[in-house]
Formats: sequence, structure tokens, C-alpha cells
Amino acid sequence: MAMLKTILGNLLRPSRTRAPADMPDVPTVYRGALAHDAARCTACGTCAFVCAPKAISFTQDPGVSVSWHFFIGQCSFCGLCAQNCPTQAISLDAEVPTGMNSAAGDGLRLESIVRLQPCTRCGAAHVPLPDAAIAALWGVEEAERGYCPDCRRWAASARLRSAFIPAAAEEVHHER
Amino acid sequence: MPYSFPLGPYHPALEEPFKVKVQCRGEVIDSATVEVGFSFRGIELLAQKRNWVEVITLIERVCGICSNTHAMTFCMAAETIAGIEIPKRAAHIRTIIAELERLHSHLLWAGVGAEDIGFHSLFMEVFSLRELVMDTLEAISGNRVNYGMNCIGGVHRDIPDPMRYLPALDALSKGLAEIVIPTFTENPTALARTRGVGRLSREQAVEWAVVGPVARASGLDIDVRKDQPYLSYAALGFESVTRPEGDVLARVVVRALEMVESIRLIREALLSLPAGPLRATEGLPEIPVGEATIRTEAPRGEAFYYVASEGGATPARVKIRTPSFVNIPAIEAMVTGQPLADLSIIQASVDPCISCTDR
Repeated sequence: MAMLKTILGNLLRPSRTRAPADMPDVPTVYRGALAHDAARCTACGTCAFVCAPKAISFTQDPGVSVSWHFFIGQCSFCGLCAQNCPTQAISLDAEVPTGMNSAAGDGLRLESIVRLQPCTRCGAAHVPLPDAAIAALWGVEEAERGYCPDCRRWAASARLRSAFIPAAAEEVHHER
Repeated sequence: MPYSFPLGPYHPALEEPFKVKVQCRGEVIDSATVEVGFSFRGIELLAQKRNWVEVITLIERVCGICSNTHAMTFCMAAETIAGIEIPKRAAHIRTIIAELERLHSHLLWAGVGAEDIGFHSLFMEVFSLRELVMDTLEAISGNRVNYGMNCIGGVHRDIPDPMRYLPALDALSKGLAEIVIPTFTENPTALARTRGVGRLSREQAVEWAVVGPVARASGLDIDVRKDQPYLSYAALGFESVTRPEGDVLARVVVRALEMVESIRLIREALLSLPAGPLRATEGLPEIPVGEATIRTEAPRGEAFYYVASEGGATPARVKIRTPSFVNIPAIEAMVTGQPLADLSIIQASVDPCISCTDR
């Protein structure tokens, strides 16, 4: 009898099929359309490393730029790229992704170009660090802001040396 | 005159491909042979070619229903190898997701079972209840199917406001107690199709080594959550459900009462969610040389994982034994001597997950 009562009860109630306006809110943790911010990217490759379906890849134009590529057809929206990105360059927005196609198809492809910059000390082309990382690392030492990774290491060891042997500091600065 | 009758692999009752070849004498089934392997994807081999982060995403796709169980069990195996103990809050969140997943899996099964016996109005009622669970899972994890909650060392996402989900649990308990359980256990139409159908005796259950709700419906009191408590089950005080009859009705009742127990576990876990970090480790995981075997109770029964590490970037071996792998062959014992028309509900009563079985 329970079922008959349920069915009769349902007859007196409005439809339970949800109209678009009655749909539950999109949760804040929803993993939707992917966005990449080239200004924050250090091209470290963590996102490509954690991407199981290999939707993210990097290509290089030596001396000019590093390109970040994304293909939506291979993306599984696991969100690991955004979670593991050390500089928060990738974000998954609460918007429905556009152009979902098959893995072999011609779905949405994103390309984001990270321009290389010459080192202010040695001139070698390198991926510039995002402003937030620079401010945290070299808030005071303005001169080191544009250094390449090699020169940053040199500067760090020079600081160490001068701390231990103050006399050596002058020589080091004129070495190169 | 005896004849043989192939059911599947393109299946009239289930969405996934598997084949039951039955030998009939008139309306009665003499014997049956089960064939699986139509959706083999080679996940165990692929897992050896993916690093420790990627492999979780891959393992989560072993199954479309119990996706969290697989990712969670794999992470537990990796944590055992590395000697990582996850924070209490992470264990509670994993328990909540695992039990929500059991709820939605059992509700899905109840709906499919109702449809197989031609009870469409019950199917609609069950699936509208299931939406409550799916909405809760989506609100917590951001996705309805692959939650992506697990990482080696803890969980990815927090449950910031646990009290928010209690009204949905209340509505679910009410729906189960007022509609689903009474209809399955008292409605003459439902009883006529389930009582005494597809019996699997206790001895047969031992012989075919069935696990999970199928074993518990045949009077075998085995449940990993009770026998070898993991996550927060010991703290939450889990109690298993058994029935001695071994027919389809007993399997329905076991799953229904398990849902009630799951709701209780989720409510207690939400109310007693301890404060603390979500992860025991920072950054990308490093797994030393070692091996581990882990058993967990998936919605369909005991899931078994063997994971070996050689200290490299990828696992050296991931062996997955899913509950459906041992439950599906038992269909052969259940259908013998039953009318052909009951074949569909008997095989559905096992809750076969072909995607898991074939991997």
C-alpha cells in the first residue's frame, strides 16, 4: 500500500524535474574551465608531470619563449595541475568548459606563451620569476631581480662568502 | 527440448557488457556460463607507466560507481609502504566520502533492481533519493562521479561546514524508511519477484568465495570495516548487517539496512569531524622500496590491492582484485533451477560491476 500512497501523494505535488533555476548551486570547488596565467608561470613543468591523461605539455622556442599547451579533449578535470602548481598559475573556474570533444577530435586548445628575458647580469635568456615570488625572495636586493638561475646561485654564494670572509667580497664583485 | 540462450554481451538489463550463456529446459535454467572481459582497458599495466600522482587519477577510473574506493585503497597502500599516517581529519573525510559513495551505489542498485522487476515507479522514487546523495558529493568534492578527493598522505579538499549536509541525510533517512524499504519488503509485486529467487546457501557462498552484501545475505558475517577496521570505522562503531536466507530479497534487505547504517556513520563522522591538517605530507610523494596489500570494503564487497614500489617515479606493480570479480561467477550457482525470466533480477542482485572486473 505504501507505493499507492506515494503515487497518490506525488499526483498532488508539483513536478520533481528541476528547472534550470532550481538546480543546486555550482559548488565553489567545482572543477570546470581551465585558465593559465603566463605572468605567474615559471615553466617548472609540475602541471605536465601530474597530468595523467597528458592534456598539458610544454614546447620551447630556444632563447625566445616557452609555450604551455592544453588540450581539453584529453583533460579529465581532476584538478591536480591547479592543486600542485607552486605559483598558482593554473586555476579551474566554476564555469562549464566550452568545446568538449573526443580525445582525437578538435576540441579547445589553449596556448600560453611565457616570454624569456635576458639576465640583467650575464644576458642569458631565462623564464622570469613571477612578481610575488621575486618580492618574497629579493624584496630588498633590487639588483638581483632580473638574474637568471645561474646568476641567482652565484649571488647567493657570493653573499655567503662575503659573510664569512668580508675581504673577499670586493674581489667577487669584480670577477665577471 | 534443451536449448542454449546467450544473454549479452550487449545486455538488456545492465549498461555494461558481460555475457551469460544459459542452458534451458523449457522455462527452467539447467546451467549457466558467465563470460567477462569485454571492457578490458589494461589499467594494471598502465599504472606501471604513470608516476605516483598520475596513477591516482588513473586508478580512480577503474570504476564509474565506486571510483573513490579504488583511489582511496591505492593511496592507503602507498601510505603503508611509505609509513605515512594520515591526519585524523583526513581519515574522517575519507570515511564520509566512502560511505556517501556506498549510499549512492546501493541506491543505484536498488533503482536498477526495481527496474529489472518492472517496478518503474519505485525506480523513479529511488533515483530521486539518489540525487540527494549526488548533490552532497558534488557540493563536497566538486564532481558527481570522480571526486578526486584522495592524495597520498591525506585528502585534497576539506569539508568546511559539516552541518550543511545534515538536512539531506535526514531527507534520505525519511525516504528510505517510508518508501524504499517498505516497498521492497511489503509490496506483493516486489516480494513475488524476489522472495526465494536465486538462492545461494551459506555453503555455496563459501564455495564460490563471494564477498560483500552477497555473502552477508547468505549468512556469512564478513565485512572488512568490522573484521579489520580502517580509517575511522573503529572510532565510529560500525555494525554489520547479515541475513540468513540467501535469496534476492535478502540481498535487497542487506543493502537497504547497510544504507541506514551508512547514513548513521556519515552523520556521526560529520558531527565529530576533528580539527587538524588535511595532509600528512607536503609536495609530491616519494615512495620508498616496499610492498603492501590493503583490503577495504567497497560498496560491492572486499576490494584488494597489492602495490609494489621499487623506489622509482612509478609503481612497480599494482594488482587490483575487485569484489565483482568473485561475485559474478556465483551467478552460475544462483540461476541453476530458476525460471529464465528471473535471470535478469538474479544477475542484477549480485550488483555486477563489469568495469571493475575487467579493469
